Amino acid sequence: MHAKSVRLVNIVKTFKDPQSGQPVNAVNDVSFEIAPGDLVTLLGPSGCGKTTVLRMLSGFENPTSGHIYIGDSDVTDVPPNKRDTSMVFQSYGLFPHMNVSENVAYGLKLRNMAKDAIDEKVARFLEMVSLDKLAKRPPSRLSGGQQQRVALVRAMIVEPSVLLLDEPLSNLDALLREQMRVEIRRLQKSLSITAVYVTHDRVEAMSLSDKIIVMNAGKIAQIGTPSDIYRDPINSFVAGFVGKVAFFPCEVKEITSGSDNKICRVEIKGRFFDIPRWSPELKVSDSAVVMCRPESLLLSEPGTGIEDGTVSANVYLGNSVESWVKRKDASQSDILVQIDNPDVKKIWKEGEPVSLTFEPSLAKVLSA
Amino acid sequence: MKKRVLHFALTLGLVVILGFWIFTNIQNEFLSLAKTQQLRLVSAIAEAFPDRADTEPTPENVLEWLEKSVKNSGGGKVAYVNGVPAPLERVSALGDSSLVELLTALSSPFSLELAKGFDNVAYEETYRSAKDWELDNTSYALFFAPVVQKGEVVGALVAALDVSEENSFINLLLLLFGAAFAIIALVAYQVSFSRDVITGFAVLILFGISLVFVAYPLFESLRLSFYQDGQWTLDIWKTILMSRGYRSALQGSIELGVWTASCSTILGFIFAFVCARTNIRFKGFIAAMGTLPVISPPFSLTLSIILLFGNNGLFTRMGLMPFSIYGLPGLVLAQTIGMFPVAFLTLSGVLAAIDSTFEDAALNLSATRMKVFTSITLPLALPGFLSAWLLVFTISLADFANPLILAGNFRVLSLESYMEVTGMNRLGHGAALSMVLLVPTLTAFLVQRFWIARKSYVTVTGKPSGRITDLTTPGVRTVLVGIIALVIIFLISLYGTIIAGCFVKNWGIDYTFSLDNIFEAVTRGKDALFDTLALSLAATPIAGILAMVSALLFVRKTFYGKRLLEILMMTPFALPGTLVGISYVLAFSKAPLILVGTAAIIVINYTIRELPVGIEGGMAALRQIDPSIEEAATDLGADSATVFRTIVLPLIRPAFLSGLSYTFVRSMTAVSAVIFLISARWYHLTILIYNFSENLRFGLASVLSTVLIIIVFGVFGLMHLLVRRNDNLTKTIGA
Repeated sequence: MHAKSVRLVNIVKTFKDPQSGQPVNAVNDVSFEIAPGDLVTLLGPSGCGKTTVLRMLSGFENPTSGHIYIGDSDVTDVPPNKRDTSMVFQSYGLFPHMNVSENVAYGLKLRNMAKDAIDEKVARFLEMVSLDKLAKRPPSRLSGGQQQRVALVRAMIVEPSVLLLDEPLSNLDALLREQMRVEIRRLQKSLSITAVYVTHDRVEAMSLSDKIIVMNAGKIAQIGTPSDIYRDPINSFVAGFVGKVAFFPCEVKEITSGSDNKICRVEIKGRFFDIPRWSPELKVSDSAVVMCRPESLLLSEPGTGIEDGTVSANVYLGNSVESWVKRKDASQSDILVQIDNPDVKKIWKEGEPVSLTFEPSLAKVLSA
Repeated sequence: MKKRVLHFALTLGLVVILGFWIFTNIQNEFLSLAKTQQLRLVSAIAEAFPDRADTEPTPENVLEWLEKSVKNSGGGKVAYVNGVPAPLERVSALGDSSLVELLTALSSPFSLELAKGFDNVAYEETYRSAKDWELDNTSYALFFAPVVQKGEVVGALVAALDVSEENSFINLLLLLFGAAFAIIALVAYQVSFSRDVITGFAVLILFGISLVFVAYPLFESLRLSFYQDGQWTLDIWKTILMSRGYRSALQGSIELGVWTASCSTILGFIFAFVCARTNIRFKGFIAAMGTLPVISPPFSLTLSIILLFGNNGLFTRMGLMPFSIYGLPGLVLAQTIGMFPVAFLTLSGVLAAIDSTFEDAALNLSATRMKVFTSITLPLALPGFLSAWLLVFTISLADFANPLILAGNFRVLSLESYMEVTGMNRLGHGAALSMVLLVPTLTAFLVQRFWIARKSYVTVTGKPSGRITDLTTPGVRTVLVGIIALVIIFLISLYGTIIAGCFVKNWGIDYTFSLDNIFEAVTRGKDALFDTLALSLAATPIAGILAMVSALLFVRKTFYGKRLLEILMMTPFALPGTLVGISYVLAFSKAPLILVGTAAIIVINYTIRELPVGIEGGMAALRQIDPSIEEAATDLGADSATVFRTIVLPLIRPAFLSGLSYTFVRSMTAVSAVIFLISARWYHLTILIYNFSENLRFGLASVLSTVLIIIVFGVFGLMHLLVRRNDNLTKTIGA
C-alpha cells in the first residue's frame, strides 16, 4: 500500500441556515497537511466543523471554495465513489441485507476483482480482526464491537490511500472503546494507511494520534503532537479542551528569549515565577494567566501558596489521588490537583483548608 | 473548471451549427417542393383560361373560369387582372372580393411584390410572393401567373393559396429542433459539470416525463376550456357555471359525495371500533371482509347489485323493490359498499394510535362506558373522522364506474364530462367540467393538510398497549356485531351473485344452469383480457422502478427544482380519472406527440396515475433507513445506479413489491381515464364488462368480472407472501 499525503488549502464551506436562510460558515478558511501514513485526529466541540471537514475529504460535501489534494492530485471535484478514500461511519452503515463477508467483499466486487481473490482477501482481513468465525452472520446478529470491526475491515480492505473515521467509537461502551482504539491504531500502522479521525473525546485523540488538529468555530485552533497540544497549548480554549486545567491571573514582568535561557518572569500576588513557555504575543507588563495541569499543582499549608481554598473531594485512583479544591471565589470552578504516588505523600482531608502552588517548569503563560 | 466550460461551450456550438445546417436544409427542401407544386397548380389554372381563337373571351366566360378555378385551387382565392398593369398603375381585378381588395390596397402605394409579380407575368413566368398575407385569419401566399392567348400575355391570374399548413409544418420542425437542442444541452451540461451524472440524468428524465405527461396535458385541457372556434373565450366556462343542466350535475356529485362519505364513515367506524376496542372473536375475518371491496374490480359489486335489484333483478322480479335502484339510492349503496373500506382503514389506524390507557384512566375515574366513549374516544378520533370523511368524499366525486352503470337519470359531473366528450364531441366542455371536480377535491385536500393535521391529537408513544379494555356493554355489542354481520352477509352474497351469474343461462329470465356464458365470454373476452394483461404488465415494472427512483431522489438528494418535481409527480393522485383521460386525448392526438390509439398512451397513463402511491410508499420506507448505509456503498466506489440496484432496492423491497402489485391491480381495474384512450386495437377488460352489462349480457359480464376478481386477489395474495418473507429484514434496518 502506498500511503499518500492529504492537503487542504483554504477550505471554506458555507451552509444555508435552514431557519433564517442566512449563509453560515461551517468551515472557515481551513488549511493543513497530513504526512503519508500518519493518523491525525480532528478534535473539537460539537458544531466546530470537524465532521464537515471529514465529509469534504470523503467527497460527500463540496467545499464552497478552496482545494483538497490527496497525494499530488487535486480531488476537490471528484465524487466520493471515484475518490481513493474510505470511511468508517459513526453508525457503521453496514448493509443489513448482506452477511459479514458480503459486507466486507462489497468494495472489492465493485473493483471487479476475481472471486477467488476476493474470498481469500476477505478471509485474511476477517481473521485479522478475529471475525472469521462470524463471516456468515447478518449484521443484526453481531454485537456493537463486532459491527464496528466489520465496518473497519470493510473500509480498509479496499486499500484506500486515506482512511476516514467519523467518531467510530461513540456507540461503544468504555471498555470496548479502549480495545478498539488499540485495534484501530494497530491496523492503521500495519497497513500503513493515512488516516483522519474525527472525535470530540480528548482521551481518544491523545491516545491514538500522531498529530491532533484542534478545531473551534470552523477554524483550526492548533495543530501539533498530543504532547505539544497538552503541554504547550496555543490559547486557553485549547488548554481547556484537551485536559483539566487551572488558570491563575498574573502580570508579565520580564521576558528573556536568549538561545539557552528562555524565561518569562511573571508576578502573582507579589511572588515571582520563572516560566519557560509563554505565548509569543505577550509583552512586558501585560496581564496574563498562568496555565497549570493537575499534575503540576502542589498543595501546601494555608497561606503559603498563591491561592487558598478548601479540599472539597478526594478521588483515590491507586496510582494517584485527585483532590478537588474549592476556591475562595465560589463563582470559579473547583481546581483539580493530581497527587501521584499518594502512598508516600501527604493527602489533605476533605474540608481541610489548603493553599495552591505550582511547578513553574511545567506551566505556560497565556494571554488572558 | 475552465476546461469544462470550454468543453461545454464547444459542444453546444457544434450542436447549434449542425442543427442549423440540418434545419435549413429540410426547410428549404420542403418549401421548394411545396412551391414547385403550387406554381404548377397555378400555371395549370391559368392555362385553362377560356381561349377562343377568334373572339375576345366574354366577361361571363371569365367569371365561369374563375368559379371553376376556385374549386381547382383547393380552397384558394383567385382573381383575374385584365392586361398587365405597369408599375404605379392602379390594378383593377375581377374575382374573390377579399383578394381584389388586397390587390387594390397593394397597388396604392404600389407594392414591390406586386411589381415583381406583374414583371414576371410580362415575361410569361409564374411568380410566388416572397411574403405571406393575412386574409380572413389565415395566411396566404400570392401567386401571379400569365394568361396567354395566341402567344401573347393578355392578363394575369392572381391566386392566393393557403400556406398555414406549410407554416405549421415549419413551426413543428422548429419545435422539434428546439426540443432536441434543449435535451442535448441539458445532457451536455450534466456530463460536463455534474459530480453525480447518473442522478443528474435521473432528475432530467423525471422532469421530462412529468412535464410531458402531467403538466402538458393539464395545460392543454385548461387551454381548451378557454378556446373555442379558434378564439380565446370565456364562453365554455360561462355555459358550465350558468347552465342549469351542468349545475344540477355539480349538485348531484356533491349530494352523492355527502351521502356516500357519511354512510361510509359510519360503517367504517363501526368496523374499526369493533376491531380495535372490543374483545370479540373473528376480528381477522371482519378486517379482511372490511378491506376486500377496496381491491375488488370496478363494476363487479355494481354488477351484482344490478343482478339483484336492477330492472330484471332477482328481488325486483320477486316484487320486493319499492323503488328503482337506478339513481341516487343505488349509487349511494354501491359507493358505500365499495368505499367504506377506505374509512375503515383510516379509522382503524387512528384508533390503534390512540393509547387505550386514556380510556382505562377515565374508566378508573368511574366514568360509564358511554361517557368514556363520548368524552375520550370520540374527541380523540374526531380528526380521523374528518379525514376519513373527506377521503371518501373525494373518491366518490371522482368515481366514474358506478355512475356509468347505475346513474339512470341522476346527473353527476364525472359522467357528464364523459358524455360531453364521447356523445357531443365537445372536448373543451368535458375538460372544463372535470376541472370543476378538482375544486372540491383540492379543497378537501387543503382542509386535510392544513386544518385536520394541526388538530390531530394522535401521539405516537412507541409503547404498544397490550391489553384493550372492552368499551361496549353486551347490548351495544350485539347491535354492532349485528350490523357488521349484515354487511358481511350482503358482501358475500354480492360476490356469490357474480359467480352465480356465470352459470345461469339468462339472468332475470331463465335461471337454468348453463356453461354457454363461460364459453362465449372466453371467446369474446380473450383479446381484451390479453390486451389488459399485457398493458398492465408493461406498466407495472416501469411504474415500480420510476416510483423507487423518485422516492430516492426526493428523500436523499438535493437538486434544483426538487419541490416542483415533487408536486408535478404527485399531482396525478389528486386528479379525477376523467380529467386525466380527457387531457390525454387533447394533448396526444396531435403533433408532435400523436399517441392516441397506441398501446403506449395506455401504459403511460397507468404509469403516471399510479406513480404517486408508489412514491409515497418508497419515501416512507427510505426514511426508515440510515443514510450512512448508502453513503458507505458510495464511499466504497459504487455510483448512484449501483447504490440503487445493490443497496436501496433490496432494502425497500417490501415497498417496491407493494408498489408493483398496486400498479398492476389498479391498471387491470382502471376505468375512468382508460375509457377515453382505448382503441379498436387496444381494448380494456373493464370496458368490455361495461359494454356487456349495458347490452344486458349480464352472464358474460359476470364471467369476466370473476376472472378479474381472481387475478386481482391472486396478485394481492402473492404479494402478501413475498413481503412476509421479508419481515426479518425490515425490522433490522432502523438499527
